[in-house]
Amino acid sequence: MRNTFKKGGIHPEAHKEASRGIELLKLPRKAVVPLSQHIGAPARPVVSKGDKVRRGMLIAENSAFVSAGLHAPISGTVAEIVPVALLWGKSTQAIVIEADEEEHRADTELRQEYWANMIPGESDRLLSERLSPEEIRRKVSEAGVVGLGGATFPSHVKLDVKSEARPEMLIINGCECEPYLMCDDALMCAYPGRIVEGVELMMKAAGIGKAVIAVEDNKPEAAASLSAALDSAHDISVRVLKTKYPQGGEKQLVEAVTGRRIGSGKLPASVGAVVHNIATAFAVWQAVATGQPLIERVVTITGDINPQERKNYIAAIGTPFNEMPFTLPASPKIIVGGPMMGRAAVRLDAPVMKGTSGLTVLDAGVKPNVRACVRCGACVDACPMGLEPYLISTYGRLRMWDDAYAAGVSDCLECGACSYSCPSYRPILDYIRVAKQRCKR
Amino acid sequence: MSELLKFSPSPHIHTSRTTPGAMAHVLIALVPAVFCALYFFGLPALWVLLVSISTCVATEWLITKYMLRRPLSINDYSAVLTGVLLALNLPSNLPLWMVAVGAVIAIGIAKMAFGGLGCNIFNPALVGRVFLFISFSAAMSTWPLPDAGFGDADGATGATILSLVKMGQSTAEFTPQDMILGNMGGSMGEVSAVAILIGLVYLLVTKVVSWHIPGAILLGLAFIDIMAGYPVGIDIVSGGFLLGAVFMATDYVTSPMTKRGMLFYGFMIGVITASIRRWGIYPEGMSFAILIMNGATPLINRHMRPSRFSPRQRKEVAV
Repeated sequence: MRNTFKKGGIHPEAHKEASRGIELLKLPRKAVVPLSQHIGAPARPVVSKGDKVRRGMLIAENSAFVSAGLHAPISGTVAEIVPVALLWGKSTQAIVIEADEEEHRADTELRQEYWANMIPGESDRLLSERLSPEEIRRKVSEAGVVGLGGATFPSHVKLDVKSEARPEMLIINGCECEPYLMCDDALMCAYPGRIVEGVELMMKAAGIGKAVIAVEDNKPEAAASLSAALDSAHDISVRVLKTKYPQGGEKQLVEAVTGRRIGSGKLPASVGAVVHNIATAFAVWQAVATGQPLIERVVTITGDINPQERKNYIAAIGTPFNEMPFTLPASPKIIVGGPMMGRAAVRLDAPVMKGTSGLTVLDAGVKPNVRACVRCGACVDACPMGLEPYLISTYGRLRMWDDAYAAGVSDCLECGACSYSCPSYRPILDYIRVAKQRCKR
Repeated sequence: MSELLKFSPSPHIHTSRTTPGAMAHVLIALVPAVFCALYFFGLPALWVLLVSISTCVATEWLITKYMLRRPLSINDYSAVLTGVLLALNLPSNLPLWMVAVGAVIAIGIAKMAFGGLGCNIFNPALVGRVFLFISFSAAMSTWPLPDAGFGDADGATGATILSLVKMGQSTAEFTPQDMILGNMGGSMGEVSAVAILIGLVYLLVTKVVSWHIPGAILLGLAFIDIMAGYPVGIDIVSGGFLLGAVFMATDYVTSPMTKRGMLFYGFMIGVITASIRRWGIYPEGMSFAILIMNGATPLINRHMRPSRFSPRQRKEVAV
């Protein structure tokens, strides 16, 4: 019997329909690089208008301990540093780089060569043995690597494990439990050897002796290719988990892998675990082994679009989404990320960022009527944190913040399992979010 | 961008289950029981059914339109369901005006007065039935004998198993086969165990109800029966036990939210039912047991909450 987390969870239709291959998305002539693409302080620009930059060059530096640097995704000239609108409408300061014909052509050639040489092969174990933990963390920090699962927490900070914590296990999250998205799946199938090397580097950097790569059982190809890349010399194993949403939730994943539950408000380190995303492991390998900073990532374009358009692309950070090849459905709702936790986009002239795992294009149609709560208990059964969503939602609607807090609103992951499972289509999570925001203050 | 993009907070996908869909599933699950009612009790049963359904729907329509002035809610099928369940809980020879009174009480008082679907504390159909039972005890305790084959009932009446037991008389005239198929006196929908069990299987397969409530009711009933030395099997197939356990006690609105709460609620319904049957003055106790536990449901919800995600104290799985 395959493990999964015990409490709650749902089984939405997977819709993992994108082709599993990865294609290079054409570099943009104009890249927009927002200064705040991670959790923590925004990066501080080190270039100014009119400066020439080369692809991969540092353009904004760490401004604090919890912060991440930014690098030029294309060669060109800094056109301006202005506020730009992101996909969901929020405005933020960004560096705009424009490339001329010649720079664009040269970049494209170099990039094609780089990815053509990324053949999955024998792992270079010497690399992680040669470098010290400090060196690995410095390279990761210099490359601006952040958690690519969506939380975008700067990786060098997370790898700097305090010695008193002494975690026993590094858990690499390859669950990709969100429906539709396939960027991690594609990466695991394409570059398993590089991911394994990345995991070894992370183990060295964090001083952890054992790692588990967790993959859900709806991705057998990914699990098989990773297993094939491992041999008995590795202290890394692949753990296939029973598919259930939200398996990628940190607390759910740690429970599924170790059987240990993290307490309310605690971190995985409290049970001896550190969790990183699979794409982060690949980015760490790229940063340390090839020296390429985080200037591109795998992005899935999928959903209710032409089946041939459902693909995984390697896209440069800063590529505007309206340069991506897909046709909009009749009543388009474009979600940044997966449909369970992703945010709906209000515009498409915004750039790919470090945390953008993909676009799920849905034909939204007409929203069904919200009906009365019939107290069926579906939301209670679905909640992975053992909360009572119907109750907290009502507290939120009635502005009973103290009661919402007492009912455990701060434990809520906002995974959306409650709203998903409500047969009366009640916006359960919306009111819970309001209460959660209020209780944070 | 010329296209208008749709916007809403996450999640952006949704289960295909709907509330009207769940109601429709229950109605489908009731088809065998309705068929048996018509088969055994003939045309009068059809009239009771039609009057009950139409009065329930009309009452809800009038109240939402003219008293509450709210959007119509009859399209969620819950009023139809209440009408069917009420009819199945009545004897087929009940005067039709009494059926209509019961339906008005069920929808008007037990459901809409509390705020409509989702807000009622007590199961509307059972409130209607118990109102009629207390108001018109004689008419509600005269059970027509079944006349298999869709014929017009000839007006012969007789006692149910439970009333015979209560009077200390022999129930030998009923063969086990009669009891299971439903060839005996009783409310329209409660007589055929087989028909109700087919409905239960349908509800379990479509996951409209879970096994917890019916299972716990059975356990509670068996517990008291074994203590009292009464044959559990006869208690299950007689009276409104199965109809209540499968279709009435499992009503979403009036039953607890958590599985743990459901088990307690169900067990207590079984215990109360068997206690009334064995030691009470009434021959049947299912309706009262469910209504009593409906009343306790808010308390159960308050005290039997789901266990929160937190570190387990006991065993840890080896890594």
